[in-house]
Amino acid sequence: MSIATLCSAIQAWPLSTAIRGNTPVTAWLFPIVETLHVMALTVVVGSIAMVDLRLLGLSSRNSPVSRLSREVLPWTWTAWCVAAVFGSLLFISRASTYETNLQFRLKFVCMGLAAVNMLVFHFGSYRQVTRWDSGEPPMNAKVAGALSLLLWIGVVFFGRWTGYTSE
Amino acid sequence: MFRPFADWLTNTPVSMALQNHQWVVPTSQSIHILAISAVFAPACMINLRLLGVGANWRSVSQLSNCLIPWMWRGLAVLLITGIIQVVTEPVRQFVTPAFWAKMIMIVIVVGMTALYARAVRRDAAIWDAASSRPATGKVFAVVSTLLWLAIIVCGRFIAYTWIFYA
Repeated sequence: MSIATLCSAIQAWPLSTAIRGNTPVTAWLFPIVETLHVMALTVVVGSIAMVDLRLLGLSSRNSPVSRLSREVLPWTWTAWCVAAVFGSLLFISRASTYETNLQFRLKFVCMGLAAVNMLVFHFGSYRQVTRWDSGEPPMNAKVAGALSLLLWIGVVFFGRWTGYTSE
Repeated sequence: MFRPFADWLTNTPVSMALQNHQWVVPTSQSIHILAISAVFAPACMINLRLLGVGANWRSVSQLSNCLIPWMWRGLAVLLITGIIQVVTEPVRQFVTPAFWAKMIMIVIVVGMTALYARAVRRDAAIWDAASSRPATGKVFAVVSTLLWLAIIVCGRFIAYTWIFYA
């Protein structure tokens, strides 16, 4: 089965049809799901930015990076799961349209690169975090923070632009 | 009541110039959402902490003093991008109850946050110990969280309800 046929099959599910809004009542489902997606994604981006800005020396300079990460990560992951659930509901409502949408694809390219960046950081410079926990992070940690910020800005931009280009 | 003003604003050269560029509104909205991150994520963390949830390696006053400046920066960006969206599409905003509800709630929650920020700066020791923390802290936490959530709902629902009033 090709991705195109899979997407049109997904889009035909009763849940997808309901979120697309085929009755006066279900017409409110898409706006509600989208609002919950926005709430969750702002927590994802805001919490990630706290660690990124610390790595770049622009915020929380007196806080140990490891403690800040441990405080923030539960927020990031919880909110990411919520955003992913509601994002999936948005996706299935117009699966075929989104699948071919350039902005939608670029959003996921950014998120994939953000994940790679996170893994490289976690298994790279963060392993020696005790050496620089309360001081200035090494250059590769700063680069990871800058890349993370830029990629998540990209995720938000392409996400918003998906809504404008998928009508 | 606001319709004549909205119509006038729509026909001003500034508004018409912005309307001519289709990228203005989505770009402004993208920056608006990023700025919400700088406000809403810190608000959630501070408020849950006031309700006794969250890491306690730094005190309530340290957490608040670190995060609240980012909320003000975010709000400044929200104001600028919000004005761009209002000037570009005045009717859409001014005729919609969700817009006015949002504006009223923003004034309230900004006032509450300013009072909270001042109280924590003045009496850090009182706010840092759970035993001496004023009960108003929990009220602030619950009410401001609900207001931020309602503000986001109203913001998104301007887009979905304005057509009923235009």
